[in-house]
Parts: sequence; C-alpha cells; structure tokens
Amino acid sequence: MIEVKNLSKNFKVHKKQEGLKGSIKSLFKREYITKEAVKNLNLTIQEGEIIGLIGANGAGKTTLTKMLSGIIHPSSGSISILGFDPWKRENAYRSQMSLIMGQKAQLWWDLPAMDGYLLLKEIYQIPNDEFKKRVKFLSESLGIDKELNVQVRRLSLGERMKVELIAALLHNPKVVFLDEPTIGLDLTAQKAVRNFIKNYRKEFKPIMILTSHYMEDIEELCERVVIMKEGQFIFDGNIKEIQNKYAQNKMIKLQTNTMIDPNEFPMELGEVRIINQHEQIVYSPRDKAMQAASYLLKHYDILDLTIQEEEIGDLIEKIMNKGNA
Amino acid sequence: MNTRWLKSIFTLELRQIITYRADFWINFLGNISINFVLAYFLWKSIYTAKAVESMNGFSMNDIILYYIVAPQLFKIQQGSGIGNISREIYEGGLTKYILYPIDYYLYKIVVYLAHSTFYILQLFMVLFLYWVVLGQDHVLNFTPLQFLCFIFSLYFIALLYFAMSSTCELIAFWADNIWSLGVILRFSVSFLGGALIPLSFFPTWAQTLLYKTPFPYLITFPMNTLMKEFHFSEYLSNLGIIILWCIAFLLLSKLVWIKGKYKYTGVGI
Repeated sequence: MIEVKNLSKNFKVHKKQEGLKGSIKSLFKREYITKEAVKNLNLTIQEGEIIGLIGANGAGKTTLTKMLSGIIHPSSGSISILGFDPWKRENAYRSQMSLIMGQKAQLWWDLPAMDGYLLLKEIYQIPNDEFKKRVKFLSESLGIDKELNVQVRRLSLGERMKVELIAALLHNPKVVFLDEPTIGLDLTAQKAVRNFIKNYRKEFKPIMILTSHYMEDIEELCERVVIMKEGQFIFDGNIKEIQNKYAQNKMIKLQTNTMIDPNEFPMELGEVRIINQHEQIVYSPRDKAMQAASYLLKHYDILDLTIQEEEIGDLIEKIMNKGNA
Repeated sequence: MNTRWLKSIFTLELRQIITYRADFWINFLGNISINFVLAYFLWKSIYTAKAVESMNGFSMNDIILYYIVAPQLFKIQQGSGIGNISREIYEGGLTKYILYPIDYYLYKIVVYLAHSTFYILQLFMVLFLYWVVLGQDHVLNFTPLQFLCFIFSLYFIALLYFAMSSTCELIAFWADNIWSLGVILRFSVSFLGGALIPLSFFPTWAQTLLYKTPFPYLITFPMNTLMKEFHFSEYLSNLGIIILWCIAFLLLSKLVWIKGKYKYTGVGI
C-alpha cells in the first residue's frame, strides 16, 4: 500500500539574467527563486491498484514519481510504501520496487541485454531457476526472446523499451513506476507494450503508477486517474467517473455526402466540428442527442451515423484546462 | 552481505572495455608505443648532449623506465576516468544506481578498479617492451617479491585517487560543472606526485613537505618500490599511510554524499 500525506517539494532555482551583462553579474551574485513543484499532496493507493498520473508538462507528475521512488527528498510531508520510507533507500524497499523510464536507458548500452540481466540477477539475488523462468516468460510475452543477445544500442526503439521492461520486472517488484513507457514508439510497439503491461498486471498484481501523455495508455490500463495541475491534484477518481461527471455532450459521428454548414445547424442541438468534407462530428447536449440525430437524418444526406460518449482524452483535457474540478 | 554482484560488475566492466576491438588495441598498444618512443628519444638526446652517466641518481635507462611507467601509473590511478560521478549527478545518470539495492559508492569503486586492472595489464606490456628494446639487465633489477608488492600497491593507489577525486566530484551536487576541479586535482597529482618530474629532482625541503600530503604516495611510492632498493618494512609503513589516507578521504566523501544527496534533482526523467 502507498500512503502519501501532505507531501510538498520546493526547488531553489537560479534565476539567470539575460545577456552577457547578466552572465557576468551572476559570476558574483546570484538570485534564486523557490519553485513549488508539488503542493501538499495526499494520496492512498491500495495493493494491486494501477493509477494513471496525468497532467501537462511541469504539473509535478515526475517530481512526485521521483519522491515515491526515493530519488529525491521531499521538502515536507511523508510517504509510506509497503511500510517503507522511500527516501531511506533501504535495500528491502529497493528490492521490491522498480522504475521504468521511457526516456532513460537503464541497461548497459554497449552490451547485450542478457549481460545486464545477469548482473541484475546478482543485484536482486534472484535464484538461478527463477531467473531463467522470468527471462523466458517476460521475453516471450514481449516477443523479444531472439534479441536478448544483441547489443542494446543496436536494437530499435521499440525493442529497447521491451528489453528495459524485462530488466525492470526481473525481480518481480511489488511496486512499479512507469514513466512514459510508450514515448516515441510507433503505434504497433505502443500497443504491444500496453498489452504486455495489461497482462502482466493481471497475472502478478503489483501496484502500478503510470505517467503518460498518451491517453490510450491511461484509458486501456488504468481504472483510477489522478490529474495534476501546478503541483496539485485536481481530480482523483475512477476513469468512468470522469465520463459521468464531466461529459456534458454526446458525440454524433457522421459520414455524409455533403458537408454540414456549422452556421446552419441549430445551436440548441449542438456544435458541429468538421473533420473533412465527408466526415463531421456534432457535440450535442446529452438530453438533446436523439433530437439532434433525427434532425440530421431529416435534413442531410447521411451515409452513416453513430452516437458515442465523449472521448476520455478530451474530457481530461477539459478538466486540466478548467483547473480545480 | 551479498557480494556476488561485485564480481559481476567487475567482469561486466571488463567486458565493456574489450567490446570494441579497434579501440581496445589502439588504446592498449598505441598509447604505450607513443610514450615509449617519446621517452626514449627525448632522454637519449638529453643524456648524450650532457655527456653524463646519471642525473640525480637516475641512469639514462632508469629515467626512460621512469617516464614510460609513470604515465601508466597515472592511468591506473585514473581508473574509469575523471568526471564520471559528477556527470552522473548533473545529467541524472545517478538515478539508475539509486534504484538498485546496492551501495552506489561500492559499485563505483569496483568499476574503477576494473579499469585499473586493464591498465595494470597494459603495464606488463610496457615493461615487456622496455625489456625487449633496452635489454634484460634493467628490468630484472627487481625481485619477484618487490614486483608483487609493486602490483599490490597499485590497487591501493587507485583506491586513494578514487577517494580523492570522488570527494571533489560530489561537489557537483552543489555546483553544476566541476570539470576544472578535476583538472586541478589531476595536474596536482601529476606534478606533486612526481609523474612530470621525479621528486628527487625537487629541493629536500619541498620533498619533506610533500610527504606530508598524499601526492607522493600516488606516483613516487610505487615507482620507488619498483626501481629503488626494496625494504619490506618501509614498504608496509608506506602502504599503511596510503590506507590511512584512503580511509580519511572515503570518510570525507561519505560526508559530502550524505549532505549532497538532498540536493540531487534527478534530471532527465
């Protein structure tokens, strides 16, 4: 279980003045500003739970992840993970956690992944049989078993992410921090990584905290979402709750022979967004969606019409732009 | 305490050093050949011009030996190179090691000594080259015990240099770029340790003063072990001083680490 109480983190940042004059001045005297990266956070995560931590750049997600994994020291407040204070960096805690960084390699660049795994086997004291079983299971699940003896630097970005995932999960951690695990990957690789995480979680049930800018990652993997803005939580709840609470409209997706003129469409029935000449979306208030659909069928040459809930990604964006929910 | 990972890191690092064949051979043979040629022709011309048999107790062959071994000792001490720890602090590479259930410092020492081991092997090549070019008499001046003690001391001088340089490098927790500090340390060791000029060329008062610092133990002590008359008790007492310096600097760096880790921001993720 993870318990975070009144957690804050401030950074003292050197304020650099522009130009040569400013640079020379800063050689003798420097001005510092205090930046509040994370403000008074409270969070509880139960065993086996997976949460999606989302927010714009600079919202404080990574700072929170760094404090939870023991990389940086909180300015105030407390963290308890599996009964440990991460900052103390006790081996008993570090043996049960893992951080997967999409933007930073953990394996040894010039050596094959397997060489790195053998070292991790010793670091985490994984018994021989268990190690072989884990490598086989993880590499087969990710479809990367033939690339384990290739130098890491010679692997494609997708393959590299997969070998990194194996490295991070070899010791069967109880807490896994996933920081942008699909960043930069093509759609096929993103899907493969997502499916793997989904299946892995089903089988081993670790606590997972996922940070991602890709809404597909969050939608597919997380039941609970925590949205951050300017160092604070502005939403913490079930992903379905977002739809119930914040989806004011339904989406009517249309395929048409002739384009709908947004100015001609009755305002009380919704707003038209043009995708292209033959595809449009009407955002209609939930109680007017059926009426809007009838109007469209009656007045336009419609080839296909579907009524859907608003996309989670759009709703989250709305919450983030709006501020405190 | 689990120590098997130390062996794995040591071998992993050696594997990294020999990964690139061309680089390995250029590094292994290229450097020593250049050093040898430079030392040989420079000192041969100096001794010939001065028409002397010896200078400050060094014959021409002695001084050539000194100038091909001293740079190698310098490399052995430098292990995996300067700037690694500070770079990891300000580029965020330290994060990876913080996450593992291991002692970062111990990890770095083992990696460092793996590189030193590579340079010790290179030292054998240097001595072999000297033996082939200048004749057997000169190298065979040392006894097997003397040679073993010399090799043994190399790991301690590497450890001492690591302790000194890592203390400086940990200042990167406060100051982003401490490259120049590393360069100052490197030059100080090179000059005050006797790699640039043998300490016997220094005035006596300067030598006495220098022996109050760790510098002469890094170059002059192992050179004397190899080249001068060997006394085991003197060797042991000098080794003891090196160990005391190691303890002092390791404790100091631990203190800097304890204070500095609060400043780490883990950039890059």
